Amino acid sequence: MAILMPEADAAVLKRRAEIVASLRAIVPGEGVIDTPDEMRAYESDGLTAYRQPPMVVVLPDRTEQVAAVLKYCHEQGIKVVPRGSGTSLSGGALPIADGVLLGLGKFKRIREIDFDNRVVVTEPGVTNLAISQAVAHAGFYYAPDPSSQIACSIGGNVAENSGGVHCLKYGMTTNNVLGCEIVLMSGEILRIGGKSAENAGYDLMGVITGSEGLLGVITEITVRILQKPETARALMVGFAQVEAAGECVARIIGAGIIPGGMEMMDKPAIHAAEAFVQAGYPLDVEALLIIELDGPAIEVDELIKRVEAIALACGSTTCRISTSEAERNLFWAGRKAAFPAVGRISPDYLCMDGTIPRGALPKALARIRELSETYGLGVANVFHAGDGNLHPLILYDANRPGEIERAEAFGADILRCCVELGGVLTGEHGVGIEKRDLMGEMFSEIDLKAQQRLKCAFDAQGLLNPGKVFPTLHRCAELGRMHVHAGKLAFPDLPRF
Amino acid sequence: MDILKIRDAKDVEAVVRAALANEQPLEIIGHGSKRGIGHPMTTNAVLDMSALNAVTAYEPNELIITVEAGAPFADVASLIDSKNQQFAFEPMDTAALLGTAGIGTIGGMIGAGLSGPRRIKAGGARDHLLGAHAVSGFGDSFRTGGKVVKNVTGYDLCKLLAGSWGTLAVMTEVTLKVMPRPESERTLLLRGLDDVTANRAMTAALGSPFDVSAAAHVPGSVLRVEVEGLDPLGPPRQSLTLIRLEGILASVSHRAASLAKSLGSFGPVETIEDAGSAAAWRSIRDVLPFAAAGALGAWPVWRIVCPPASGAALGQALTRDSGGEVIYDWGGGLIWAALPPKPDGQAALVRARVHAAGGHATLLRAAEEVRRNTDVFPPQPEGLARLNERVRQSFDPRGLFNRGRMVRRSEA
Repeated sequence: MAILMPEADAAVLKRRAEIVASLRAIVPGEGVIDTPDEMRAYESDGLTAYRQPPMVVVLPDRTEQVAAVLKYCHEQGIKVVPRGSGTSLSGGALPIADGVLLGLGKFKRIREIDFDNRVVVTEPGVTNLAISQAVAHAGFYYAPDPSSQIACSIGGNVAENSGGVHCLKYGMTTNNVLGCEIVLMSGEILRIGGKSAENAGYDLMGVITGSEGLLGVITEITVRILQKPETARALMVGFAQVEAAGECVARIIGAGIIPGGMEMMDKPAIHAAEAFVQAGYPLDVEALLIIELDGPAIEVDELIKRVEAIALACGSTTCRISTSEAERNLFWAGRKAAFPAVGRISPDYLCMDGTIPRGALPKALARIRELSETYGLGVANVFHAGDGNLHPLILYDANRPGEIERAEAFGADILRCCVELGGVLTGEHGVGIEKRDLMGEMFSEIDLKAQQRLKCAFDAQGLLNPGKVFPTLHRCAELGRMHVHAGKLAFPDLPRF
Repeated sequence: MDILKIRDAKDVEAVVRAALANEQPLEIIGHGSKRGIGHPMTTNAVLDMSALNAVTAYEPNELIITVEAGAPFADVASLIDSKNQQFAFEPMDTAALLGTAGIGTIGGMIGAGLSGPRRIKAGGARDHLLGAHAVSGFGDSFRTGGKVVKNVTGYDLCKLLAGSWGTLAVMTEVTLKVMPRPESERTLLLRGLDDVTANRAMTAALGSPFDVSAAAHVPGSVLRVEVEGLDPLGPPRQSLTLIRLEGILASVSHRAASLAKSLGSFGPVETIEDAGSAAAWRSIRDVLPFAAAGALGAWPVWRIVCPPASGAALGQALTRDSGGEVIYDWGGGLIWAALPPKPDGQAALVRARVHAAGGHATLLRAAEEVRRNTDVFPPQPEGLARLNERVRQSFDPRGLFNRGRMVRRSEA
């Protein structure tokens, strides 16, 4: 395992008993967990290759407790790692040995449903799906739908700016949240935004979303809800070449059609999924597109026709159009089960998450195939084709010495390739620890310092979720140092008026 | 006044470094179309970005465009229009409201972050800024975000830059999301509703599955005088409630018919098509009822953002207590209020009412003297104000950029 966490502070670890006692005074009863057995459930998140028991787990159930825990840790110089449901795929909630793991799992109440303003005010531990379920009786839903939506918490969604299959049309978390209550590392409780479309001052809600738990701990969130589209239908289109599938995606977008979802799978992923759920996927194609159109029936029917014509023009070899909800769900069943399906054909897999410009898809897939041969590891590709978000699944066996390291090196090369092609390191899973040491591939030291200075505005001592996102830790004093030219410096020789 | 007209992004860095060394704050402008917004700045050095105006890359199939910050908005808009694309957040043209010439630059559009009627469906300027190159107050060029629509790599500093009125960093290049332009549009029109009933009608429309892309209400008292774009809609002095549907023609017709039916209890529903609809929404977007050249041109104008369902109650309280006029956009969530002139622009009254409704108010148009003595941007609770200031300092610790524009400074 290639990624190192900051060295544990022995002085803090020595004070463990006293720290546990102080935390118990803030969160009494079962809210503090300190036995190795009970803490085991918290030692990893969705990036299961990395495990680390925390110093202690604290599970507060109200904002004042969160504030008191953070204030205490701030005063004592103790690190804190926030955690929602622990489904992060990038290690965002990986504990640190000398840190408090702050679980928000007890914040699971929806506080208010306001249909007139089309918002839900919720605690962070509520699952993504539970929000949609709570408003479904009135025809509403919460649009972002990460594939872990049955388990992942809305607080974690905000921390990671989670996406999902439908974000091409409906946006990511950041486009669907309006406000929050946040506790800073100092223990200060702030309310940002609310039921209005925009918050006053700088768009702090915007920068908190996707900050991976480094800026503050969210204790309440206001999300937008939407009316469910009247209907949805899907096309399942097979291609003999990946390039043709890529061209089809580009032409659909070029024709001004934004599908609700547009997914691609390559041959290994198709085969794994078909073997697992028997969705009726064609096995003789190199690429399969699942394209979903949603909206009023009359619109969906018209767009299905247009998309079908585009697919044919791009040389599709098979094209099925769903005629019922059951059939639409069947088309999706294979795609939605792609990760566990791959889990059946390989003892372990690493799920990568880069984004590339859509047009670069054939190049990216060709490069991934080359790398697969170089590293001697299989790969299955699942792809949010509509927005260029790749999820290569690298197959490996953790029991074979050296294979995880090889898989990680393979994954890093894929992400480097994404950046080279004009894309980015992560489209929706976050940097966490997984891509931390690759940040330099995309950002210069100056770019990263600009980001780290923002961290200083929220958490000057760097106690909240340290070791994540940034490859190098800097002290805020150092980041804030100004290198001003000694003496007067002339303005450049420019045209003046 | 020292105007520094840069030629390229490197010049920006050099100017900022010199400004840093000389402790010389800079006013950053593109075309200067929105200079009249915010507190007057006391700097005598202007960084003119208008020569940094190239389109770096436009890839319609990727739904992105990358342009330099000084690129004229009008040119960029017509370029993407030629590919049937648009900025979906419907950026506002402030020229008529402020009485200035021209719509300005892309940098100004993002810095101001003023989004139009479609914000309720498509999001605001902040949702369409995917990446940026900028020079910080440390004199260094940095980049944030990327050139793809889906990206969570690092903090999303773009969100802070959008709507920061040039107080954090000097943007040199931005990558923006573009979206297909709808094939057709229809607007449903209800006449004569009072504000509260109109608010209810808009709430019903926005809570329907018919995918409404804009909802606005113009009270009859605003239409005593001729207003471009709204005047053709019928007899003056009768309020107009407008609800827009966009998309492919078959879908728009179907939704218009269904929604009209479901709004039947609010009165007869008329339909306005294509050009008439577009003109009406331009009028709302650019707040033409309060245009500088119009009857209320001398009145200060507030831009109030609030929870949409309480918009009408707030708007009515404001007009009653101030003697002013309001129009509603965003289904009630955006109120434009023109109030009879007072030395503080009626700030105390506006802010008390707006705060109670859970919203916030910005004094978008007012005489310089008023803007000097009144908080133009909404004052924030103490802790939040301190965090905003720390965020600002993390980009620009010496306060070089548009110093004092957003927050009044005692030393300014």
